[in-house]
Amino acid sequence: MKILTTILILSTLSFAAIGSAHEADCPYCKIKVVQNTKEQDNEVVLKVGNKRIEYRCLYCVIKDQGRYKGDLVVYAPSEKVGEPVILKRTEGKWTGPKDAVYLNTFKAHKDCAALSRAFTTKEAFAKYAKAHGQTEAKPLTLEQFITAITKPAKAAS
Amino acid sequence: MKTLSLPLALAVAALAGAQGGMPMPPNDLPKWLDANGADHLFYKPAPYNWAIDRIPAFAKDMYATGVGHAMAYEALVRGESPQLETKVYDQIHWVLKHQPTKPVDEGAISPTFQRQYGALEKVFDWAHTLHFQTIDVLAHPGWTDERREQEIEALWKFYTTQPYAITGAPMNMVFLDSFPYSGKFRAQFPKVNGLFWGYHWLQTVNYDMLFRVPVKDQAPQYAVIGERYHDAELYKTDRDFMPMTAELSPRFAKRFPMIANAFDNLHMLHDNVNDILVEPSLNEREKQEQVKIAIYRVLASTHQNEDWEDTEGKENTLHDHRHPMSMPGMGWMKGTDGDLMWMSGMGWMDMSVCAHCQIPFPDGPVWGATVSANGWTMTVRCMMCARDMASETPGKAIIRAATEDPARLLVLISDEEGNWTSNIPGVVFLEKAGDHPECSDWSRAFTSQAAFDKFIAETPELKGTASLSLTEWAQLNNGTPDTFRRIDKPNPYKP
Repeated sequence: MKILTTILILSTLSFAAIGSAHEADCPYCKIKVVQNTKEQDNEVVLKVGNKRIEYRCLYCVIKDQGRYKGDLVVYAPSEKVGEPVILKRTEGKWTGPKDAVYLNTFKAHKDCAALSRAFTTKEAFAKYAKAHGQTEAKPLTLEQFITAITKPAKAAS
Repeated sequence: MKTLSLPLALAVAALAGAQGGMPMPPNDLPKWLDANGADHLFYKPAPYNWAIDRIPAFAKDMYATGVGHAMAYEALVRGESPQLETKVYDQIHWVLKHQPTKPVDEGAISPTFQRQYGALEKVFDWAHTLHFQTIDVLAHPGWTDERREQEIEALWKFYTTQPYAITGAPMNMVFLDSFPYSGKFRAQFPKVNGLFWGYHWLQTVNYDMLFRVPVKDQAPQYAVIGERYHDAELYKTDRDFMPMTAELSPRFAKRFPMIANAFDNLHMLHDNVNDILVEPSLNEREKQEQVKIAIYRVLASTHQNEDWEDTEGKENTLHDHRHPMSMPGMGWMKGTDGDLMWMSGMGWMDMSVCAHCQIPFPDGPVWGATVSANGWTMTVRCMMCARDMASETPGKAIIRAATEDPARLLVLISDEEGNWTSNIPGVVFLEKAGDHPECSDWSRAFTSQAAFDKFIAETPELKGTASLSLTEWAQLNNGTPDTFRRIDKPNPYKP
């Protein structure tokens, strides 16, 4: 029975849609989570234990991570629909794909879903930043992204 | 029942502010509304009285709510409203953190208010007695659920024999909140109003914690509910409307719609009184008159000869007793359309279907489950929907679910990471994934392996299906149901 159950769990995790059925507010910034569209993924999904929680942006996840004790997996929408950048926090240490870079230029949370995002490559970052008027933005590594968010003087409302 | 004539209904509506001015007193105000003197009524003598003390943390929080209301009212009638959001708020807040261990006589805290609004206090006291005694019945050990429900029916009769009783009819909340003074208190004093609405959240959420739940399984739920109350619900200043009983305790409200309505009408009266007391265009005499009119609107005697189901021509009046079709224990809310209503924290929901998969509820005794998380409680049709809905919601959660035994309610409590504990040690689950329209057939909870085996033996299409332990079941997640459709309409409170 254990083998059967394991197969059932694995198959469920593999094929289930990542995301929530219900339009929820972001647990951190309390603004409505922007839903995925055919052109672009927007929902950031955090998996912890048996829970899958939606956030509005990657910044909100990093800011809210302290409430979770266990290991985390975060599915961050990228420039490719259906291909999120997958980040992990294992025993407190964050890791992600080596080529991934991050944008974090929003000034107010009404813009966080658009301007706190992950990209699979620098080229994809540059294309997105240009299209969204963020021509001065620098692509951040995961470490830079997390440091920028967690340092005390971060100016974001 | 005698139906109120249409001309009379329209006349009452006209008196009640339809012309844009302050409501005018009706001709049939009960005489006792002019008597502020003491006329204390007390509990129905019974062996269950103060059984609430079996859940000490809950009892203390409930006792503290009365103190907070009394402190605020006393400050308002003593002209101390400029300190309401600061000094008085701090005093109330201190009490919420240092709760009394016994009920406190509100008259001792608000003597000025009592002298000026004694008749109102009688209405409040009597309804609060109903609150506490219904809780006591549900927390009383040694009785069957059937016996408890008989006693609650008896309590309702006992309550409604008195002139101070509030009607059990569903009322149009939009109408009751439509007067020139309406909304003033919550706009001027958002922090204290947040506390009041937080109290009302606690006073209504507790019924499903207790209803048909074994006494031993009640207190563990309050560990979750009390934490939520103290950490979040007391401090919300952005609620769209006051919490409603059927929103937070849907099972209790379905069984006792008249009591759910009475509590909501009571809480609406609280809001009316708050607004009247801070309305600057009213002098003291006018405030007292408006409070009497507000009491009149919700008294059982005002609505006693009506046919509540006859709603034609009474829409948006004092005698509008419409309710969402599947929820007789819920008054008419802003934007309600059939069974569609706006729920704070959830958005638009169709209350006649599963909150997760939107399939109508199954007939029969296995009614599904409720999920309480993030301050809301929703009804779902199967265990899978309950688990997956809780899994996608931040924070701790409680599932209350039917089993194969109608007398045994399953209570599951999860931590922040979705790890569940059960009140039934041997609980096992059936989950043989199929289509959502049949989910209540293939996703269920059983009190034992033997009960599961019996069900499988009697259900050929499930032959060979293995049971899941709580741990195995908790790890499953089927994600977004393909049957769910978002209802894309704006918030009627913030159009």
